[in-house]
Amino acid sequence: MTQTENAAVSFTGAVKTFGTVRAVDGVDLEIAAGETVALLGRNGAGKSTTISLLLGLDEPDEGTVWLFGAPPERAVRAGRVGAMLQEGRAVPRVTVQELVSFVARRYPEPMPVARALQLAGIPELAGRRVDRLSGGQTQRVRFAVALAGNPSVIVLDEPTAALDVEARHAFWASMRSYARLGHTVLFSTHHLEEADAHADRILVIDHGRIVADGTGEQLKRAVGGSLVAFDLGGRSTAGLELLPGVRSVEVRGDRARLRSDDPDATVIALAELHAIRGLEVAPASLDDAFLALTAAPVKEAA
Amino acid sequence: MLDYLRLEVRRTLRDVGFVIGGVAMPVLMYLLFTNLGGDDGGWKTGAMVGMAGYGAVGSALNTGGGVAEDRAIGWLRQLRVTPMTPREVVIGRTLTGSVTVLPAILAVLAAGGLINGVRLDAWQWAAVAGLLWLGSVPFTLLGLGNGYRLTGQTTGVTNMVCNLGLSVLGGLWFPISLFPHWLRSVSQYTPTNRFAELGTSVAVGRAPAFGAIAVLTLWMLAFGSYAVLSYRRSGRTV
Repeated sequence: MTQTENAAVSFTGAVKTFGTVRAVDGVDLEIAAGETVALLGRNGAGKSTTISLLLGLDEPDEGTVWLFGAPPERAVRAGRVGAMLQEGRAVPRVTVQELVSFVARRYPEPMPVARALQLAGIPELAGRRVDRLSGGQTQRVRFAVALAGNPSVIVLDEPTAALDVEARHAFWASMRSYARLGHTVLFSTHHLEEADAHADRILVIDHGRIVADGTGEQLKRAVGGSLVAFDLGGRSTAGLELLPGVRSVEVRGDRARLRSDDPDATVIALAELHAIRGLEVAPASLDDAFLALTAAPVKEAA
Repeated sequence: MLDYLRLEVRRTLRDVGFVIGGVAMPVLMYLLFTNLGGDDGGWKTGAMVGMAGYGAVGSALNTGGGVAEDRAIGWLRQLRVTPMTPREVVIGRTLTGSVTVLPAILAVLAAGGLINGVRLDAWQWAAVAGLLWLGSVPFTLLGLGNGYRLTGQTTGVTNMVCNLGLSVLGGLWFPISLFPHWLRSVSQYTPTNRFAELGTSVAVGRAPAFGAIAVLTLWMLAFGSYAVLSYRRSGRTV
């Protein structure tokens, strides 16, 4: 990986351990200015620790983390960073206007408070007390706080956790309008659809490592192969992995699920074996990609 | 930093619990203690300083409660990702404490002067208020030490215990002349006793004794170190 001078974010062999847990276990990554990137992983995969390192809230035990070519702390002091941290709650006894304008004034070149509230979709809440808002409204106040300073990079740690569907949509619309202004956005999520729908690029993190990096389309392709599934009807599974195109065979109950690079050829071969019962052929989904990329045991819904 | 001070003072004054417990209570207790049964003017003055001191100690400790709350809701962590330095945050918080002790001090002194007819020279009023204000710094530091070390709930309880314990023991509620001899000697080493002494000596027209300033300074150093240690320990979790 080449280290470019203008990278907004750059991790080189970053490791962070807590006791015996390697929460971040050798992460290399680079994010260019202007990208919108999703950090995708299940709970406990290392997303929040990665973000803490990125913001300088934690220091790596090994390796380096840079923000705009300097230690994160310097970028934070220079006002180039805005963040919406996980589990931040409403600040009691201040109004939205007071809170957002206070944070904005910490930064060298903030945006007008009205603009921040508008981008966050809450201009009508300016005079309301933050601790008297709904969960969705609070979340968007926290988003307004993150962008009030007009930072070059904005980091959102699971921004839509605990939001209902409508609030979620409104939130992403706000985020996209901010990203369109040319800012760098990094958000973490454990929702595949969110990562796919709202990021230019997805980093899949698992057990503290980046296990995949690309667009949703690229991830699907990297996992490769469509799904060819059929009922075994008591037939043995021997030899299925030798059929044309087949990469892997998985049996659940009486149903065989083949991962195939050439589903047409696989189906023809199955037909020759008179094995077609309840046939299903489907392109790889992002879910499949995610499950294939992350190692932990998988519980599958029926 | 002034901005931060303004924000936090505003948040404190909007806290109904603070206004009732930290300002109204000392005033009510003062009026109650001094108007039940007959007494001479000396007690009205002594109790005024004592209750103003009690209110100031409560308000100063309350600053720590605010810190614990801010830690719990992630506000201090949020401040760490703004250009504000941790040092500015701590200094801002300490200054907040020193501003929010004023309402209690002024309210009790006003009750003494306007309702109980306590008469002091203008310079004495100013000196009592000023000394109580300065003397409350050790208690702000104690509160910050608790707030950075403990969770929100334990901070509340610990502050209350510190407040009541130190106030009663230090003679802010009842004059220590009512205490048994051994307790009186203990009382003279408490920060609250020496804190009140700053005010009472001025109220009777004397300069505060060297001993009072010395004991209070030692407590300030102790509580200050406690606050610094607590803050350092919290560094990783804030």
